[in-house]
Amino acid sequence: MEQLRVTADVGTLTARISALLAANRLGAARQLLSAVRRLAPPSPVVAQLAARLAAGEGYLQQALDELDDAVAQFPDHAGLRLYRADLRQRTDDKLGALADAAEAVILDRSDPAAKALLGVMLLEHHRPEDALVCLAEAVAAAPTNPFYCQGLAAAQEANGSSDAALATLNAGIALVPSWVDLRNAAILLCVSRRDFVTACALAEEARVAGIADACSFGLMGHALSSLGRHAEAANAYAEALKLGPEDPYVRHLVTAAGILPGAPRAPAEYLRAVFDGYAERFESHLISLGYRIPGLIRTVLARHPVIAGGGCLGPALDLGCGTGFVAVALSDLPVAPLVGVDLSPRMLEAAAEKQRYAELHEADLMNFLTEDERRWQLILAADVLIYFGALTELLTIAHARLEPAGWLVFSLEELLPGAPGSVPDNGDWALQCQGRYAHNMGYVAASARNAGFAIRKLERQTVRFEGEAPVAGFLVVLERGAG
Amino acid sequence: MTVTALERLYAGDHAGALSLLDTMSPLDALDAEALVARGVVQLANHRPAMALPSLRAAVALGETTPATLLNLALAELQAGDADRAFRLMEELQRRLPEWYEPPLRLAEAFRTAGRMQEAEQAYGRVLEINPRCEPALLGLAGLLIMRGDCATARDLLLRCCGIAPQRADAWDTLGLALRGTAEASLAESAFAKAQELAPQVLAFALHRVAAARAAGTEETLLAWLDVATHKDPLNAVLITSRGLLLEQLGRREEAADALEAAVALAPEAPLPIYVLGEVLARSNRLDDAEAALRRANELDPDNLELRNTRATVLFRMHRHAEARSELLALLDRHGEHVNALCNLANATTCLGLQDEGAAAARRAIELAPDALLPRRTLCSTLTYRDGVTGAELLAALRDCSDRLPREHPPRFANTPDPDRPLVVGLLSGSLRVHPVGWLTVAAFETLDPASYSIVCLAQNAANDWIARRFRALARDWHDVDALSDPALAAKARALGIDILIDLGGYGDAGRMTACAHRMAPVQVKWVGMQNHSSGLAEMDWIITDRWETPPELEHLYSERVLRLPDGYVCYSAPPYAPDVAPLPAVANGHVTFGCFNNLAKVTPRVIATWSGIMGRLPGSRLVMKAHQFADGSTRERILGCFAAHGIAASRIELRGPSRHRTFIGQYNDIDIVLDPFPYSGGLTTCEALWMGVPTVALAGEIFASRHSVSHLSNAGLDDWVAPDVASYADLAVTKASDIAALATLRSGLRARVKASPLCDAPRFGRNLGKALRAAWRDWCSRTTQDAGLEMADGSLVPGQNHGRQRR
Repeated sequence: MEQLRVTADVGTLTARISALLAANRLGAARQLLSAVRRLAPPSPVVAQLAARLAAGEGYLQQALDELDDAVAQFPDHAGLRLYRADLRQRTDDKLGALADAAEAVILDRSDPAAKALLGVMLLEHHRPEDALVCLAEAVAAAPTNPFYCQGLAAAQEANGSSDAALATLNAGIALVPSWVDLRNAAILLCVSRRDFVTACALAEEARVAGIADACSFGLMGHALSSLGRHAEAANAYAEALKLGPEDPYVRHLVTAAGILPGAPRAPAEYLRAVFDGYAERFESHLISLGYRIPGLIRTVLARHPVIAGGGCLGPALDLGCGTGFVAVALSDLPVAPLVGVDLSPRMLEAAAEKQRYAELHEADLMNFLTEDERRWQLILAADVLIYFGALTELLTIAHARLEPAGWLVFSLEELLPGAPGSVPDNGDWALQCQGRYAHNMGYVAASARNAGFAIRKLERQTVRFEGEAPVAGFLVVLERGAG
Repeated sequence: MTVTALERLYAGDHAGALSLLDTMSPLDALDAEALVARGVVQLANHRPAMALPSLRAAVALGETTPATLLNLALAELQAGDADRAFRLMEELQRRLPEWYEPPLRLAEAFRTAGRMQEAEQAYGRVLEINPRCEPALLGLAGLLIMRGDCATARDLLLRCCGIAPQRADAWDTLGLALRGTAEASLAESAFAKAQELAPQVLAFALHRVAAARAAGTEETLLAWLDVATHKDPLNAVLITSRGLLLEQLGRREEAADALEAAVALAPEAPLPIYVLGEVLARSNRLDDAEAALRRANELDPDNLELRNTRATVLFRMHRHAEARSELLALLDRHGEHVNALCNLANATTCLGLQDEGAAAARRAIELAPDALLPRRTLCSTLTYRDGVTGAELLAALRDCSDRLPREHPPRFANTPDPDRPLVVGLLSGSLRVHPVGWLTVAAFETLDPASYSIVCLAQNAANDWIARRFRALARDWHDVDALSDPALAAKARALGIDILIDLGGYGDAGRMTACAHRMAPVQVKWVGMQNHSSGLAEMDWIITDRWETPPELEHLYSERVLRLPDGYVCYSAPPYAPDVAPLPAVANGHVTFGCFNNLAKVTPRVIATWSGIMGRLPGSRLVMKAHQFADGSTRERILGCFAAHGIAASRIELRGPSRHRTFIGQYNDIDIVLDPFPYSGGLTTCEALWMGVPTVALAGEIFASRHSVSHLSNAGLDDWVAPDVASYADLAVTKASDIAALATLRSGLRARVKASPLCDAPRFGRNLGKALRAAWRDWCSRTTQDAGLEMADGSLVPGQNHGRQRR
C-alpha cells in the first residue's frame, strides 16, 4: 500500500506559508503553520507568520500576543517591531505603534519601510515636520514605492504646502503610472483645493491610460459637477458605478442622473457616506453657498406663540441635525430640551462639540420616528426632506409624534418645470442630478393635509445659492390639531 | 558461500545475498544445493529469468524437494511461462495434499493471470487445508467482492480480522465488502480501523471518506478530521482526506486550502496534487490547476483520467493545440475513450478543424450512444461547421436534450397573478467578466426593481467588477456549485422563482440540464451558449429579436420566441476602453481587415472567401487575433491555408491573446472587421463597433450565424450585412474601396453606438420587463385555463406541458 510521507523541509514550508498569506489563503497557511511549529524551534520568521495569520483571520489581539512573545525573545529583530507597529496602529495603540516604529528605525536604519511607517504615525500624532523628514528619506530610498509617495504628499499637505504635495504625487505618477491610488490622491488633492479643472484633467489622464477605477470616475463626476458640467458628470458617475457597483454613494448619483430606475428616497448608506466624508468642511461649505434655512427657521420660531408668550418650547427634535447648524442659530431662543438625530457619526461628533443638545442619536430619521415613541412640541427638519421623494409616510409618522398643537418645520427644494431630473409621471417630485429631491408645492400641501396637519405656512423661499444662482424652495410650518 | 548467501537472504538482506552471489566462482554451479541457493536469491531479488537456469539445473541434478519445485514454479511463472508453473504447482499439490503453500501460490498465479474462477477454487483448497490462512481469506474475499458476492466476502473477512486484528488491509477489504452489502456505517468503521492501523496509507483514508458520504455521516467525520489534523498537523493523509471531504461537501475554497497544505507537506505524492488540481479547475483557477495537474502527471505519467483532466484544463485555458496533442497521445496510449474523444472533438474544432471535430464527436456517440456528453459535444462542434443547417442542429440539440434525466414534473405553487412582482432567477456560471456579463448585466440593472427581484443561482462565482455588479443588483445570491441537478431544481422551486433565465446552456459550467427537472413555472433561454435553440422540451421561451429570429426561421426552434423590439442583448462597454483612433488606412495607404474572433469560427470556406477578397484588393492586409495563435504550429497551418489560396504570409498578421484593454485597443489597427460564418461574432462585433470598426457580416440560418446582423442593425449599419457569400465578398470590396466614407463612419461610430438601442440600458430594461411580463401572463392564463380543464376531466397538471407543445 502506498504511504504518504512528509518530505518537505522547513525553509520551503515557511516560504510557502508566506506566499499563501499574501494570497489570502488563510486555511492552507494555518494548516502548514501548525506543521512547521512541530518541525522547527521558535524563530522570528515563524512568529511573524503566525501573527500575520492571526491578523488575517481578524484576531488582532492574538497576533499582538504572538509578537509580544517574539519581541521578548528576539528583541533586536527590526521586522518584528515593524509588524507590531502596524498591528498596534490597527488596534488603536497609537503610542505603542509609534514606539515600535521608532525602535524599528533604530534597529535597521537602512529600511525605508520602517521610516515610512514611522512617518505616517508621526503624521497621525500631529508631528508633521518630523513626519516629513522620515517620509522624505523613505521616498529618497525607494522612489517608486507608491505608498511612501502618498505618505510624503500627505505630510507635505499637513505642513501646509499642497503645491509640494501635488508635485510629489505627480512625480510618483510619472514613476509608477499604473498605480491608480496615486492618481486618485492627486485628483482628490485638486478637488480639496477646489481646482476642479486640474482634477478633471488628471482624472481624464487616468481614464485615457485605462487605469481609472470607481474612485477616479467618482471624483471626476464630482469635479465635473462642480464645474456645472452635469451631463458629463452623469456619464462619469455611470462609469464609476460599473466599476464600483456596491458603492451606495455612486449608485444614488447614477439614479439621480436617470440611468437607474428612481427610488422614493435616498438610501441611508448614501447619506452616511456623503456626510461622514463631508463633516469637516460642511459648515464652511454651506456658508459659502449662502445657506439661509437656519436663519429662516429662527425667524419663524421667534413668532411661535409659546416663545412669543415668554415660555420655553420643548421638547424639540432636530431631524438630520448634522453638525448642529440649526441649534446654533436657535441658541438665543428658549427651545429646550433639544434632541438631535443624524445618520453620520462624524457629523454627530461635530454637533456634540457645540453642546447645544440634550441627546444625540445616530439613526435613520424614519427609524427613529418609528421606534422612539416620545411626543414633541416641535420637530425640525432643515434641509433634510430633500433626501426624500415621497413624503406621505414621513408626514404621517411625524404627525403621530407631535403633541397637540405641535409644529413640524421643514425646508424643501421646489420642482420647477424643465429642471433636469427623472420626473415620475405624476409630477409630484423628482430626483435631481445632484442627488437631491425637489417637490411640487401642490403635492406638499396635499400630503400635509392628508397626514392631518393644518398648514400654518407654505411659502416660496430662496434656500441657498448655487454659484450665483438662487435655488428655489419652500419653508413649511405645519401644525397638529389641538385634539 | 552459497549457503552464506542464503542465510543473508533469510536475514532479510536481499541485496547483500545477491552481491555475495556475484562474487562466487562458477564452479559452485555444479553443486545442487548451491544452485538452489543461487536460484532462491535471484528470485527474491526479482530476477526470475536468472533464477530459472539455476533451479532447473538443480532439479535436473535430482534436487526435487517440494520447496525447490515450488521455487521453480514461481520462477517459471514470473518469467512468463504460466502453464509450466501451473503444472508444477498441481504436481506438488498431488504429492503433498496437506501443504497449503502450493495452492496458495497457484491461486495468486491464477489471479494475476486473470483466471479468476480457477483462482477462487485454489483459494478454496487452501482454506480447506488451513481455514485460518490470512492471505487466502483476503485473496478469496477480494475475488468475491469483484464478482459482487459481498456477503460471502464479508464473512470471510470477519474471520480474517478476527484472526489478524492488526492487518490494516483486512479491515480495509472488509470495509469494501460492507460497502457492497450496503452496510455503510459498518463499512466506515472498518475503514476507520484500517486507517488507525496504517495512518500513512492514503487509500484507506479515502475509502473512509467515501463510506462516510454513503452513510450520511460526513459532518461527523469532518469534525473528527478537524480535530485530528489539529492534533497531528504533519499527517498529510488526514489533511488530504479532509480536503477531499470538504470538496464533496461543496466547501471548495477550504478544500483547496487543505489540499494545498497536504501537497506542500508531501510534494512527491501524486494523488493529493491531482485532487488539488481538480478542485482548482472546478474553482476556475486554471493556471494553478494546470500547474498542479502537470506536476501530478510527472509523478504518475500513465494515469489516463489525470491526463484527460489536464487536457480539459488546457482547453479551458485556450491552449487548444496542447490539449489536442495531449489527447491524441493518450488515445494512442490507452485506446478509444469516450470522454477523451469528446474533449478531442472540442479542441480540434477550436483549432479551425470543424469537420474533424464533428467526426470525433460522432465517433464518441458510436461508442456510447446513450451517453449525454458525446451528444452535447456534437451540438457544440456542429454550430461551427460550414454548411450546418438549422434543422440539422435542432435535431442534434433535441437528441441531446431528450437524453437528460428528468424528475416527475413538479406542481408549482407560484400564485398565477399576472401583475404581481416577480422573482426572476438567473442560472449561470458566467455572472462575471464574460460575454454573458457584458451582454446582460446592464439589462438586469435597469429592470424595474418594483416589478422584478433578481435571484442569482451562480456557479464559479468570481469577484471581478461585473460579478460585483450582479451581486449589487441581486436580491439574493446562491452558490450552487455543490448541488446536483435535482437538488438545484428543488432549491429554485423552494426559492419561489417565477421565471428562470438560463444563462449557461450546455457550456462550461452551464447548468441548463437542471432545467429538464423544471426549476420554475416559466423557463427562458438567453445569452450563454445561446448558439441556437436549446432543443430542451422544458425550455418555454427563448429571448431573441427580429433579426436573430425572423418569423420564417421560427420553426427551427423548440422554444416559443420572445422577440424583443430592438436587439436581443444590451452591451455594457468597459470604462477602460481606449479612445477610437483615426482610420489606419489613411496613414497606411492600404486597408487592414481584422477578425478577432475565436479560431473555431474560422472555417476553410471562410479562409477561401477572405483570400478571394484580398486577391481583389492587392494592397490589403488581414490581422487575425485569437488565443489559438499563441501556438506556433497553429500559426503556420493557418498561414499555409491562406498561401494555398495565393495570399502571401506577409499580408497576414496572426496575433495571440492579450489583456482585454490591449485586445480592444488593437481595433485601432483595423479598418474593417470581416465576420466569420456560419458562427458570427457576438460580443466581438459589439466591441469592434465600440472601437469605431464596422463589421462585414453574412446572415445565416442558425441563431449563432445572425448575431452580427442583430448588432449591426441596431447600430444602424444594416447596409453592412450580406445575404450570401458572393455578396459578402462584394460588400467587403466595396466598403474597403471608399476610404473617405470609412473615416467618416469611424469618427462618429462610438457616439452613434452609445446612443443606439444596443447600449441604451434603460430602454432595454423596460423592453425586457415587458417581455418577461408577457411570458408570465401567458403562464398565468394557461394555468387558470388548465385549472378549469382539470376540474372538468381531472387529468391535467397545470403548466407542465407548454414546452412540448410545438414538438
